[in-house]
Amino acid sequence: MTKQTLVRALTKFQTLTRSLCTSAATSDAALKNVTKSNFEPVLAELRRVVRESDFVSIDLEMTGLTSAPWRECFEFDRPDIQYLKVKDSAEKFAVVQFGVCPFRWDQLNNSFVAHPHNFYIFPRQEIQGDGLSYEFLCQTSSMEFLAKYQFDFNACFYEGISYLSRSQEEEALRRLDSVYKDELVDPSSNVREFADTELVRMADILYAERMKNKISDWRAGLSRDRNGGSDFQESSVDMNQNFQTTFFKLRPALAVNGLTSRQLRLIKLVMNLLPFSIFLPDVTEKHFKDLAYVHVTCEPSGLRPLLVYTDSIADRDMLMREVKDCRRKEEEMKIKAAVGFRHVLDLLSSERKLIVGHNCFLDLAHIYRKFFGPLPLTAEEFVSAVQKYFPYIIDTKVMLNSNDVLLRIMKRGSTSLSKAFRLLCSQLPATLTSSGLPNEPRVKVEVQVDDQRFSNWNSGAKHEAGYDAFMTGSIFAKACCHIGIDFNPDVPTVDLLHEEKLLKYVNHLYLSWVNENIIDLKTGKIVAESLGSTNIKRQNLKILSPNMVLLWGLTSNLRAKEFRDCLLKVYGTGSVTSIYHLDDTAAFVQFSKAEFVSKFLELKDNLERVNDPISILHPLSKLLEAGCVRAAGYEIYKEICSSPISELFFTDQVEAIGLKLKTRLELAIEIKRQEKYKINSLHFCEDRKDTDPEINATGTHSSCHFPGDELVDSLFPVEAQMSK
Amino acid sequence: MFYKRLLCTQTTAVRHHLHPNQWPIKQVTKSNFSKELEELKTHICSSDFVAVSLQKTGGCSVPWQRILPFDTADTAYLKAKTAAERFQILQFAVCPFSIKDSKLIAHPYNFHLFPRDELKVGLPSYSFSCQSSYLTSMAKQGFDFNECIYNGISYLSRAQETATKVQIGNLSHNSYMVQSSLVHSVADSVFMERIKSRVKSWINACKTSNKTEDALISSLRKLILGSELHGSRPCLNIDVCSERQIQLALETLKEFVDVVPLRVPVKGGGMQAVRVVLTSSKEDKILFENELQNNEEEQNKRVRGFREVIDLISASQKPILAHNSLNDFAFIYSKFLTSLPPTMDDFRTPLRLVFPHIIDVNHLMKEIGPFEKINNIPAAISYLKNRFFAPVDMEIPNQGEANINNIHGNNVLKICQLFVKLCTILKISPEVSEGDGIQLSPSLQCHANKFTPCSNSSEEPIDEDVEIWTGNNRRVSINNLVFMWGFEGGISANKLKGLLHDSHEVFSQEYDIRMVDKTCAVVVFWNPGFSELFLNTMDSERVISDKMKDLISEGLRATGYETYKKVCEKSGLWRSDLAECLDEALEEETEVFLEAKSREEQSLIYWNNDEMINLDEL
Repeated sequence: MTKQTLVRALTKFQTLTRSLCTSAATSDAALKNVTKSNFEPVLAELRRVVRESDFVSIDLEMTGLTSAPWRECFEFDRPDIQYLKVKDSAEKFAVVQFGVCPFRWDQLNNSFVAHPHNFYIFPRQEIQGDGLSYEFLCQTSSMEFLAKYQFDFNACFYEGISYLSRSQEEEALRRLDSVYKDELVDPSSNVREFADTELVRMADILYAERMKNKISDWRAGLSRDRNGGSDFQESSVDMNQNFQTTFFKLRPALAVNGLTSRQLRLIKLVMNLLPFSIFLPDVTEKHFKDLAYVHVTCEPSGLRPLLVYTDSIADRDMLMREVKDCRRKEEEMKIKAAVGFRHVLDLLSSERKLIVGHNCFLDLAHIYRKFFGPLPLTAEEFVSAVQKYFPYIIDTKVMLNSNDVLLRIMKRGSTSLSKAFRLLCSQLPATLTSSGLPNEPRVKVEVQVDDQRFSNWNSGAKHEAGYDAFMTGSIFAKACCHIGIDFNPDVPTVDLLHEEKLLKYVNHLYLSWVNENIIDLKTGKIVAESLGSTNIKRQNLKILSPNMVLLWGLTSNLRAKEFRDCLLKVYGTGSVTSIYHLDDTAAFVQFSKAEFVSKFLELKDNLERVNDPISILHPLSKLLEAGCVRAAGYEIYKEICSSPISELFFTDQVEAIGLKLKTRLELAIEIKRQEKYKINSLHFCEDRKDTDPEINATGTHSSCHFPGDELVDSLFPVEAQMSK
Repeated sequence: MFYKRLLCTQTTAVRHHLHPNQWPIKQVTKSNFSKELEELKTHICSSDFVAVSLQKTGGCSVPWQRILPFDTADTAYLKAKTAAERFQILQFAVCPFSIKDSKLIAHPYNFHLFPRDELKVGLPSYSFSCQSSYLTSMAKQGFDFNECIYNGISYLSRAQETATKVQIGNLSHNSYMVQSSLVHSVADSVFMERIKSRVKSWINACKTSNKTEDALISSLRKLILGSELHGSRPCLNIDVCSERQIQLALETLKEFVDVVPLRVPVKGGGMQAVRVVLTSSKEDKILFENELQNNEEEQNKRVRGFREVIDLISASQKPILAHNSLNDFAFIYSKFLTSLPPTMDDFRTPLRLVFPHIIDVNHLMKEIGPFEKINNIPAAISYLKNRFFAPVDMEIPNQGEANINNIHGNNVLKICQLFVKLCTILKISPEVSEGDGIQLSPSLQCHANKFTPCSNSSEEPIDEDVEIWTGNNRRVSINNLVFMWGFEGGISANKLKGLLHDSHEVFSQEYDIRMVDKTCAVVVFWNPGFSELFLNTMDSERVISDKMKDLISEGLRATGYETYKKVCEKSGLWRSDLAECLDEALEEETEVFLEAKSREEQSLIYWNNDEMINLDEL
C-alpha cells in the first residue's frame, strides 16, 4: 500500500507508473511513452522513422467495445449489421492509447528494426465554443480490463494528446471564416447591445466622466507632443499606474491595466460617446475617430486592452484590419495546434506505407471516426473511404488463419495476439535453432528506443498499445518469412507492397471475427471463400435473413427449446431451422422457408386480436404471452441497430426508439394512404407555387422511415388475401 | 430582508481558519471502507445534519440540455433524469455536521466510487458516459483517476440487489413462513410422500453410516441416495421444478426436526433445488442457522458496497443538505435506489420516503439574491462575504490520519459553511428536535424539499409558470412561450428581433427573445393569447405579411411549449441542436395524426382478414 502510493506520488503528473516499474527491473529501455509534453519532438523523429520504414504496425486501446450486450457480434448478424455494430462502437467509445510501431529492414544487421511508440490520447476540447459535445462512453468491464493491466488513466486524462479530425478542423476553419466575415459586414453589432443600457448609476456616470477627461488629456498630450515634442513626459506622469503609454504597431497607445470588466466597458462606452474615439475590434462609427481600442493577447493574463492613437480614418481602418488579421491568424494557429495527434495519422496516410494490424477492422473504424470524419452508413462506402487514406492494409489475424503453414505453427488453435507472438516470435537460444531446425526460416527483429538498440527487447506490457503494435509487427515479419518471403543481406530493400506472396492478404480484413466474414477493402464485397487455406474450422451456419423472425418482449421463463416445440407444433417438423437468443428479452427464429415468416406474423396478429377459444388454445398463444411479445422481420433489426440509442436490453431499446411496429396490414394501408397524401401534397404545392417545408418533410419521411423491401413485401399479403 | 453592508474584512478569530485546500477530509476507497463506515455511522447518529456533494463524469452535453430558467419542474426533472442515467458518480462526499453555539462541527468524508462489477453479473452499470471537460477539470484539481478506477468502491442499488439475489447463486436460508394453506392435489400428495420417504431413508442412512462401515459401501450409499456434504454436515438435494414444488417440499420438511432446508438457485434463474442439511442436535441446528445468517450479512455487505452509506443516511432520517438538489438526488435515486420514474411527481413521493428532509442551499440563496446569477458554491460564498457579516467557526475533529493536502470533497464543507451563513443571515433556526421522528424548526421546514429554485412549494401542484431567465423575476405562463428556429445559425437575439420586427402584428407589442442554443430561440409574449395567434398564422396559409412569408420560406418554424415538453420526454432521441429535436417532434405529431386517420379505414379490412385467417387455421 505505502509502496503503491509512493510510486503513484512519484509518477503522478508526468511519468508513467508502468514504465517506471518495468524500467527499474530490467536494463532494457522502457517503451517510448508519448504524452502532451513530449509529443512535438517525438513527432518530428517519427516522421523520419516512418519515411524510412517498410511497414508500420498499429494497435489501439479503447474505453469500451459494445454499448449494450445485444450490440455484440453474433453469428446470425448479416455483414451490414456487423458493420452497423462496429460503427456504433467507434462512434461511442474513446481511444485512450494508440500504438505505432514502424519497422525498417536493416540490411547491414540482417534484421528488422522496430520503433515502438505508445501514445496516450484523450479527446480534450481545445477549441472553445465549437458546439461539439466531447462526450464518450466507457464500458465498465473494459475499464476494469485496462485497470487489470495497470493502464495509467492519469497519464491519459492529464497528459493525453488531444486531436481534431479533418472534418472537425474544416468545420472550425469555416466557422472562423464566418465569424470574421460577419464582423466586417456589421462591425457595430457588438457595441449596440450594451450601448443603450448603460450609464444609469451615478457612480458610472462619474467614472465615465473622469475617463473621458483622462483620455482627452492623453490625446491632447499626444498632439502636443507631435507638434512641440515637449510635454510627453508630463502627460504620461499625469496618468496613474493603470494607464501607461506604450506603442502598438508603430502608433502611440494607452495600455489600460488592472481594471474590472465593468470599468473597461465604461471606458469603451466613453470612447463611443466622445468625439474622435475608436474602439477596436468593437468599432464605433462615431466621433473620436483617431483612437482605436484593441485587445492584444499577451502572457500570462490573456487579453490586454489598448487605446491606440491613429492619424486618420484610413489609418484606423488599416490598423483594424491588421489587428483582425492578426487575431485570425492566432485563431488559425490554435486550430492547427489542436490537430494534435492527427498529425501521426496524416503522416501514415501521406507516406502510403503498408499498415499492419491484428484483427483491425474496428481499429480502422475508430481511426476513421476520430481522425478523418463521420462514418459512412454502409460498409462499402466505409472501406472505399478508408482505401483513400490507407491504400495498403494487412491483418495478421487473416494471414494466420488463411495460410496452412502458419496454421500449423499456430497448432490450429486460437490466433490471439499474445499466443501468436509466443509461438512465432519467442526467441529460442541460438544454438538450438541453428542445429535443430535448419530449414526453419528466421528473421531477426531488433528494437530501437531513442538511440538505443536491443535485440531481445521485452519491456512492454501486454495490452499496452505500443507493445501490442510491436507484437503485431513482429508476427507479421515472422509470418512473411514463413510464407516464403526472403529477407537476406543480399537484398538491399524489401518491397512488401509488391510482394506477390502477400497480394492475397493485402486489404482483406475480418469484418467480424465471429462469423469469419472477410471483407475486401478494394471492392467492399465479402470474400466468399477463405483465402486459400484448407482450414475449415467450422461449418458456417447458413444464415438466411428472409427466413428469420425477430421476437422481443420475451420473459425469462421461455427457453429456446419450448419455443421450438411450440413452433414445430404449428408449422410441422423441420420448419424451424434454429433459434438464436439475442439477449434475455429477444430472440431470432429461423424458419426453413421464407413464407413461414409472413405466415407467422399474420397468425400472431390474429391470435392477439381475436379472443375466441380457438385462438386461446392455439399452441402459439403460450409463446405470445398475452400480447407482450412482439415480432417483426429481419430488416427491423437493422433499423434498431442503426439507432444511436443503446439501451441495456433489446426490448427496452425498441421501446426507446419508439419504433411503431405496425402490423403488415396497417403498414400496407399506410403506404397507400401516404402515397395518396404525397400526391395530394404535390398538388397542393403546385397550387401554392412555393414549397411548404412541413408538408414536404412528412411526404418524404414516410418512405425513409421504413426499410424499402419491408414495404414492398408487406403489400403482398393484402393483395393475396383480397384476391382469395 | 436586511442588507448590512459591513466591511467585508473578517477580523474575528476563527479557530480552525484553514485554507479550503487544507481541510482534513477523510478519503475513502475500497481498502479502508469497512473501517470508516463504522465511524461514519456514529457520526451520522450524533450529528444534526448531513451534507452531500457529488462529483460526476458529466452534466449535460449541450447547452439546451441543462436545466434552464424556463423549464417547468417536469422538464427540469426530465433533464436531470437523463443526466443521472447517463453519467457516473466518481466521488461522493458525505459530511455529518452539527451546529453548536454557532460553531460548525463537521466530519467530512470523501468516498471514491467506481461501478466495478464485483459479482460478475454485469452490474451496477454496463457502461457510462464521460464528458472530457469534466474529466479535465477534475485532472486540474489533481484527482487520481487510477486510484478511483483501481480502488473505487462499488455498489448495487436496492432494485439491483433484489434482482440479483437469485442470480448471484447464493444459498438462501428460507426465512419466510411456509404457507400452510396450500390445497393439495393428488399429484402434490404423491410428490410430498415421495420426498418424505426419501428424506427419511436418507436420515436413517446418515445416522447408521456413522458407525464404522466399509468405505466403498458408504460411498456407494452416498451415490445411490444422492447424499453430499454441506460444509461438515451431510445434505441432500431435492430437485424441484416450480415455486409450488418448493413450497410443498418445505412443508414436508417441517416434520423433520433436525434438518435445515436451503434454497439453491441456479444462476440466471430457472430450475431450483431444495437442499436439506442434517444437523446433529438442536444446538447444532441453532449454530448452523447463525452461521447462515452471518454469511448472508457478509454477502450483503459485499453486494451493497457504498450503498451502505446511503442506507445509513436514509435510516437516520437526518435532514440532508445539497447544492442543486434535483440533479444530485436524481443521481442518488438512479444509482442507489431504483430506476427513475417518468415524472417529477412519481419521483418526489418515493424519494420523500427515503429522505424526508432535503434542503437545497441554492434555494436558500435565492431567498437572498433572487435576481443574481449565483449558480456555484464559491460564487455564493463570495457574494455573501461581500454583503453580510456572518463568520462561521468551523471545527473538524478527529481526522488525525486524513491527508491534509487533499482538496477532494471540500465542496461538501463549503455547503455546510454556506448553510450556516445563510441560517444566520436569514434568521433561520437550525434546530433539529428528535422527538417522534426528526422535526425541523418551522423556519427551516418551509425551505425543505424544494428541488428547483423556481418551484414555490413542494406541496402545491406544480404551477405552470416559469421564469424566463435568471435575474428577472417576472413570471409568465408557459402558454405564452413560443420556440422558434430555422434561422441562420449563431444569430444574436437582438439581430433576430430585428428580423422579426414588422413581420407580424404580435411583434408590435411587448415581447422578448432569448437564444436557447445556436439554433433555437424562445419568444415570450407578454400579452396573453399572442402566442396562439402567432402560431396559428404560422400554420395557416392565410396571406400574412411579405416579410413573414419570406422568413417562413427561408425555413422559419415555430411551436408552442407542448412540443418542447415532448422533446424533453424522449431523451433517447436528443440531438445536440434543439431545433433538430423540435423538428423531429413535430414530424411525429403529423405522423400520429396520419395514423389516426388511417385507422378509420382499417376496421373494414380487419373484418375480412379475420375470417380468412381463421378459415385457414381450421
